[in-house]
Amino acid sequence: MSSNHPLIRVTNLDLYFGVFHALKSVSVDFHAGEFVGLVGDNGAGKTTLIRVLCGIYAPSNGEVHFDGKRVTNFHPKLAIDQGIETIQQAVGLCDNLSIARNFYLGREPVKRILGIPFLDFNKMRDKSTRVIRTFGLRDNVSADDEVEQLSGGERQTVKIGRAVEFKNRVLIMDEPTNHLSVREREHVNELAIQLKEQGLLVIYITHDISQVHKLADRIVIMENGEKIEDTQADAMSLEELEAVIRHGGRTVEKDHMH
Amino acid sequence: MPSLAIKPLVRRHTEIGIVLISILLVLVFTATSEGRWANAYNIGTILQVTATLGLMSLGVALVIGTGEIDISVGSTFGIAAIIYLWLAVRVDPALAALVAVAAGAAIGAFNGVLIARTGTPSLIVTLGSLMIFRGLAIALTSGFAISIPYKERGGFSYFILGGDKIYNVNTGLIWLAAALIVLTLMLRYMAWGNRLLAVGGSVESAHSRGVRVNRTKISAFIICGLLAGLGGVLEAGKLGSADGSMGRLMELQAIAACVLGGCLLAGGRISLIGAIMGAFVLSSIQSYLIVMSVQPQWFVLLLGVIVVVAALGVRSLRRWALR
Ligand SMILES: Nc1ncnc2c1ncn2[C@@H]1O[C@H](COP(=O)(O)OP(=O)(O)OP(=O)(O)O)[C@@H](O)[C@H]1O
Ligand SMILES: [Mg+2]
Repeated sequence: MSSNHPLIRVTNLDLYFGVFHALKSVSVDFHAGEFVGLVGDNGAGKTTLIRVLCGIYAPSNGEVHFDGKRVTNFHPKLAIDQGIETIQQAVGLCDNLSIARNFYLGREPVKRILGIPFLDFNKMRDKSTRVIRTFGLRDNVSADDEVEQLSGGERQTVKIGRAVEFKNRVLIMDEPTNHLSVREREHVNELAIQLKEQGLLVIYITHDISQVHKLADRIVIMENGEKIEDTQADAMSLEELEAVIRHGGRTVEKDHMH
Repeated sequence: MPSLAIKPLVRRHTEIGIVLISILLVLVFTATSEGRWANAYNIGTILQVTATLGLMSLGVALVIGTGEIDISVGSTFGIAAIIYLWLAVRVDPALAALVAVAAGAAIGAFNGVLIARTGTPSLIVTLGSLMIFRGLAIALTSGFAISIPYKERGGFSYFILGGDKIYNVNTGLIWLAAALIVLTLMLRYMAWGNRLLAVGGSVESAHSRGVRVNRTKISAFIICGLLAGLGGVLEAGKLGSADGSMGRLMELQAIAACVLGGCLLAGGRISLIGAIMGAFVLSSIQSYLIVMSVQPQWFVLLLGVIVVVAALGVRSLRRWALR
């Protein structure tokens, strides 16, 4: 499963939004072939942490190493090129573009005509249609439809399908099952496990504690911008896990229970 | 229900509004001007104005597509005209045009870099440029006009740079057509356009997919400056003279042309052909007021009224189509 050499190593990461201290000296390792659940209250800093990993935010302090190399430039393009694919919370789709155009945004396939790189519409349309059908989008949704017309669940499905299609070394999922029906949730969770088994690192953010307790190999808990717990999933019961998230650090809770 | 078939069409083609407006105006103007408006000479003049304003509007449309705005294009237009006329008598006019257009692109780059790197709103930055380069144009000409006598304006370079006509239309129209074709290919059929519209649709989403947002915005501003510069060169080529006030208030006409043409000021949805049709409609109105001997002061007032009415019209048309 996890080797000794972490795929992503985060050391003493600080991030400020203006004066607001959103990440406080966070250190955490992630390994290939690992399913890590990232949990914590609303506003704990989960999304902020993974947005550093996928290059959206540059940290104010601290280091990120990917595959043993220090990351010096933070940009989503660089992260994607390194094989980090992300299902973002709230962002990731442009309403004004079609599903096919959103699908390939930033990595558009081209076909050269007289040496000029024109978009390969056939490929864009065929592949994205196949993926949205696999992920169960209604037959009357076409890849040429603008995302603006899609429902919340359909949007989420497009984001998940896209991330799975381009999966590479790391898949980060920020509350991926939001807006999804029970059956679709199960499908997404099964996929996440399959990808882990194929050797990918899966980082999974959720508020569904019982679900993540079942799925994850390891669970990282955050609170107020700090990592307050980092444990193998089977080393902690579901009740303990819930108590830590509810009341803060595990030590407090343990003292309480003794 | 016919509306079922029309709705998707309107949703996809934001320029449908301006097409309807154009048809209506052409009919009304023709019917009410007793041949003074709809004759070969006058239409030729309208098309010449459409060419220079249209080039500027194409650039502004691209900037609007990224969710930004450029109100400095009128000054860029003036600067390019002055540079062109000053150089054309000293070096080859083709080279003079190249330098003038490059100056326009440089002004665009200045705007774009400042906006992208500092995050200052484009309205503020380009308002600054509007004043800086207008001031420079006035200072450079020190209140006089720069001109090239008509008999010195021979040769192919002068001919092709707006100085003459083919089949009764100014050669500037060739440049407009070329720009429209090239930019349409870039916008709809190349990755650059996909990313440009993505940035206008949602900066955060585009960024999260690895789009280089700053580069994309800067490229739009550079093309915008370049086209405004080209418009200035063609206008100077037509008139053979320019003073420090050349292109004043044209930025407002260009923005109005874009809005009329179905470009959403919020970004992400633009129509290049719509922007050109918008320029055509504005030139037509201007010309109508002239041939009907209405005082030119009314033009700006009427422009404002038409922009507001048309913007509301385009908006309700789109609302209806989305329902
Ligand atoms: N761009 C931003 N600018 C300023 N503050 C921000 C920004 N993004 C997040 N924050 C703040 O940082 C804190 C952490 O936010 P974050 O989105 O990482 O929380 P989260 O753990 O993902 O919460 P949730 O479970 O609700 O998604 C919050 O207090 C939030 O208000
Ligand atoms: Mg979050």
